[in-house]
Amino acid sequence: MLNHHHKRLKEKKYILLMFMSSSTDWQVDLLEIAQKCVYCGYCSLCPTFKELKWETYHPRGILEQIRIYFSEGIKEEKKVEVSKTLFEAIFACTMCKACENICLVDLPLLKVWEQVRQEAFKKGRWSPLLLSLYNKVKTTQNIYGLPAEERLAWASLAGLNMSKRTNKKASIAYFVGCQASYSGKMGNVAPSVVKILRKTRVNFTILGLDEWCCGSPVFLAGGYSVGKTFAKHNLDKLKELGVKRIVTACSGCYRAFKIGYPRVLGDKWDIEVLHISELADELIKEGKLKLKHTIKEKITFKDPCELVRHCGLVEAPREVIKQIPNVRFEELPSNKHDALCCGGGGLLKLNDSDLVSQVNSHLISEIEYSEAEIVANGCPTCKDTILAGVKKKGLNVEVLDISELILRAMEGEQ
Amino acid sequence: MTLKKTTRTRFTRYLGKNFRDDYTTLQIYSRDMSDLPKVVKLFVGNLPDGVIQVRNTEDMQKIYEIANETRVPITQRGGGTAGFGGSVPYKKGVVVDTKGLESHFLVDPLELTVTTSPSIVFSDLQRQLNLEGFSLCSYPSSFHSATVGGWIAHGGYGIGSIQYGGANEQIAALEVVLPNGERKRYSELDDISLFVGSHGTLGTITEVVLKIKFNIPLKHQGCTFDSPSEMLKGLEHLSKINPFSIWFLNPDHVTSFNEVFGYNLPRSYVAIISKEVSFEEEEKEFNILFNNAIRASGGQILDRRYIENIWDFRFKGFSLLGECTDYLVTEVILPIETSEKFFRKIISKFKGEIHLEGEMISPTHYSLLIYLFFEEKLSEIKKTILNLKLYKIATKKSRAKGFPYSTGLWFSGYYSSIYGKEQYKRYQEFKKKVDPKNISNPGKVISPRIRFFPLVRLKAIVKIASRLIIWK
Repeated sequence: MLNHHHKRLKEKKYILLMFMSSSTDWQVDLLEIAQKCVYCGYCSLCPTFKELKWETYHPRGILEQIRIYFSEGIKEEKKVEVSKTLFEAIFACTMCKACENICLVDLPLLKVWEQVRQEAFKKGRWSPLLLSLYNKVKTTQNIYGLPAEERLAWASLAGLNMSKRTNKKASIAYFVGCQASYSGKMGNVAPSVVKILRKTRVNFTILGLDEWCCGSPVFLAGGYSVGKTFAKHNLDKLKELGVKRIVTACSGCYRAFKIGYPRVLGDKWDIEVLHISELADELIKEGKLKLKHTIKEKITFKDPCELVRHCGLVEAPREVIKQIPNVRFEELPSNKHDALCCGGGGLLKLNDSDLVSQVNSHLISEIEYSEAEIVANGCPTCKDTILAGVKKKGLNVEVLDISELILRAMEGEQ
Repeated sequence: MTLKKTTRTRFTRYLGKNFRDDYTTLQIYSRDMSDLPKVVKLFVGNLPDGVIQVRNTEDMQKIYEIANETRVPITQRGGGTAGFGGSVPYKKGVVVDTKGLESHFLVDPLELTVTTSPSIVFSDLQRQLNLEGFSLCSYPSSFHSATVGGWIAHGGYGIGSIQYGGANEQIAALEVVLPNGERKRYSELDDISLFVGSHGTLGTITEVVLKIKFNIPLKHQGCTFDSPSEMLKGLEHLSKINPFSIWFLNPDHVTSFNEVFGYNLPRSYVAIISKEVSFEEEEKEFNILFNNAIRASGGQILDRRYIENIWDFRFKGFSLLGECTDYLVTEVILPIETSEKFFRKIISKFKGEIHLEGEMISPTHYSLLIYLFFEEKLSEIKKTILNLKLYKIATKKSRAKGFPYSTGLWFSGYYSSIYGKEQYKRYQEFKKKVDPKNISNPGKVISPRIRFFPLVRLKAIVKIASRLIIWK
C-alpha cells in the first residue's frame, strides 16, 4: 500500500513537473543519468533483454554504452562502434517502462531511451521502416499513410452517421486515433465507444477529418519537436470546439495526451484526458451507465504498459469489469504495475516482428494459465499483438477492447 | 592475451552469432556491480577477448575443449550483480554468459524440489513457484537480479537462510560441466559443497535441482534496541525462536530508510523478525516467543503499524544509494558472539556516514551490508583506502572473526577462512584433477599472481596495503 502510495506520489510529482516544464526542460543529461546507475541489475526484467540475453540489451548495459558514447575524449571510431550496438538496443526496446518502474534509484529511463532515439535520428541511423513511418505520419498525419478522407470510414462501415457529431461544439471530444480509424482489426472499437457515449447521452464531438495522429509514434521515436506540430494542431481544433475533456480508447493516444502534450505545449495543454474505462467508471458511479447483461465467459484484463506504468491508470478498468453482473474475473499472474509487456510497443513491430512474438509468448502463456475466455485490454496495439499470439498458440480466447466489453455488457451479446 | 585468429575462428565456427568480440560487448562484460579502479585495471586483465552466450551443455563441453586446447581462460557470468569480481576476467580470455542457457522448470511436488536452469533470476523462479503453491527456501536480497547459478557460485546466503541454510543446504543436485569437458551430476552434499562458493573454478553449472517448500505466509514483528550490544543479545535470543528471517538496521540506516520509503521507524537499532505461520495458534505462539525473546534481551517491541508492508522494501536497500553523491558498499559475515567490538569500532570510525543492514544467516552468524555514503565525489584512491580500512576492521582489528561474504577476485585467497582448511584441501585436490591448466575462472578462490610482478599474489598486496593504513 505504502509502496503504491510512494509510486503514485512520484508519478504525480513527475506529471506536475511535466506540466511546469518548457519544451526543452524535458531533455535530460544522458551522461549524468548513466553515471548514476548503481548497476544493481534489477532492470534485467526488461522483456527485450530476457529474450536476447546479451547485456548490450540490458538497460544497465545500455546506460553503460551511453556512458562510453558520451564520455569526453572518446575517439570517433570508437563512438561509431558503440553507436552500432547502442542504437540497435534502443530500437529493440518496447518502451514498456518496466525498467524505470523497478529502478532503485529512480532514473528517468524512458526519457533517456527517447533521447537516444533522437540522437540516432540526428546521426541518420533510423531504420528505413521507421523513417518511412515517420514520413507517413508527417505527410498524411496518420500512421498508415492513408488519405485523411478515409478517417471516418469506420463510421460508415459500422453504419453510424457521425455528421452531427463531427466538429460540433461540445465539452467532451472522443479522439478516435489512427488504429481505430483505419485498421480493420480495430473495426469495432470506435463504434463501441460511440455507442457507449450515445447510450449514456454524453454530449460529445469528434474531430473527424480534422483529427491528426496524436503523435505517439513520433514521441516514441524521440521526435518531440515534430510531435509538437501534431499536438498544436489537435489542441487548436479541440479549443475551437470548446473541448474541456478528451476521451480515448487508445493507450498510445492517452499517453501522448497525458505526457507528450504537456511536455511540448506546457500550460497551453489544459484539457482533461480520460481513457474510456475512466469515463465509463465515472458514468457508472453517476448512474448513467448500467451494465445489465451477464457475460458468462471468464474475463481477464491485460494492463497496457502505456496506461499502467506510463500513466498510472490501474483501477478504472477493473472497477468497470466488476460492475458486470455475476462476472467471473481473474487477474493475470503478472498484473497492474507488474504486467507483462505484449511486445508490440515502442515501435518494435517495425524493427523486429520476431522479437515481438517472442516477448508476446510469455503474456500468452499467462493468459492460458488464467484460463480466461475473454482478454480485455485498453490498447489497440496490445489487442493486435495478443490476437496474433492467441492465434499462433491456438487458444480459444476472445480478445476485446474494454469498450467492446462494456458495450456487450450494456446491450448483451448480439 | 588476445585471441589467436585460429582460436577465434574455432569459437565462431562452433558458436556463430553466440560469440561476440566487438568493442562495446567486451567493455560491458569487463565489470560486475562494482567497476575496478583504474589503477587496479593496470594489473588485472578484466577486458575479455570475447564473450559467449552458452546455449546448452554441449556448447559448454565444446567451449572447455577449445579453451583447454588453446589455453584460453574462461570466466563464467550469471547476473553480474555481485561486487566481488567473481564474474570479471582476471587473465582476459573469454566470458561465458550463462544467461543464454536453455530454461526449464520442473517441480517435483513429492520430493519438494524444482529442476531449473542456473540462468534463471530468483524473482522469476519464485513467481513461477508461487503460482503452483510453492516457494524458494532461501534467496538473496538481490532477488530481482541475481541468477540461481551466480548465487551458488558465490556461496550465497540470504533471506530465509537462518531457517533453511545457504546455497549448500538448498541444493538437491547439480549438473556440472567440468573443465575437462566431463558432464557430471552431483547429489551428495560433499560433492555439491565443492561447487558452492568456488566461482566456477571447478566447472560450469548447467542445471540445478533446488529444494523448495510450500508457500507459507509470513508474519512480521519489529523491535528496537538502544545499543549494538543489546541488539546482538537480542539477535541471539530471537534466533532461537526458529524465524524465517531476522533483518536489522542501524540508526543512520533507519533514518535514511524513513526518508526514502516514508516510514516512521524510531531512530535506533531496528530488527524485523519474520516467521512462517500457517494457522492462528502458530501465530499466537510466535507472538509469545517473540515477546519473551525481546524481554530477555532488553529490547522494545514495535507496534505493528510501524512495519506495515515493510517486507516490500526488503529488496530495495540500494534505493538509498540514489540519495548520495558517492558511496561504498561491501558485505561481510560476522559471528554474533565476537562482533560487538566490531560494531562499536566501525560506528565510531565512520560516524554519520555508515549505514548497516544485516541478515541472520544462521543462529550464530549474520551477513552485514556496509554502506558508506558521501556527499562529495571520492577519488579512486580514497575509495580504495576506505575499502581497505573496512576490510581491516572486519578481519583483524576488532578481532571480530569476520570473513568476506565471498571470495571472488577481491578476496581470492580467503577460501579457507570462509569454508575451513579441510574443505580448501579437498578443493585443491579436485581443482588439480579437473582443471590442471587452470582455465576455469582463473584468479578466483586461489589468490592470483600480480601481472608484471609474478612473484607477488593479490592477497598479499591487499594485506600489506590494509596494514599500511594509518588510523587517525
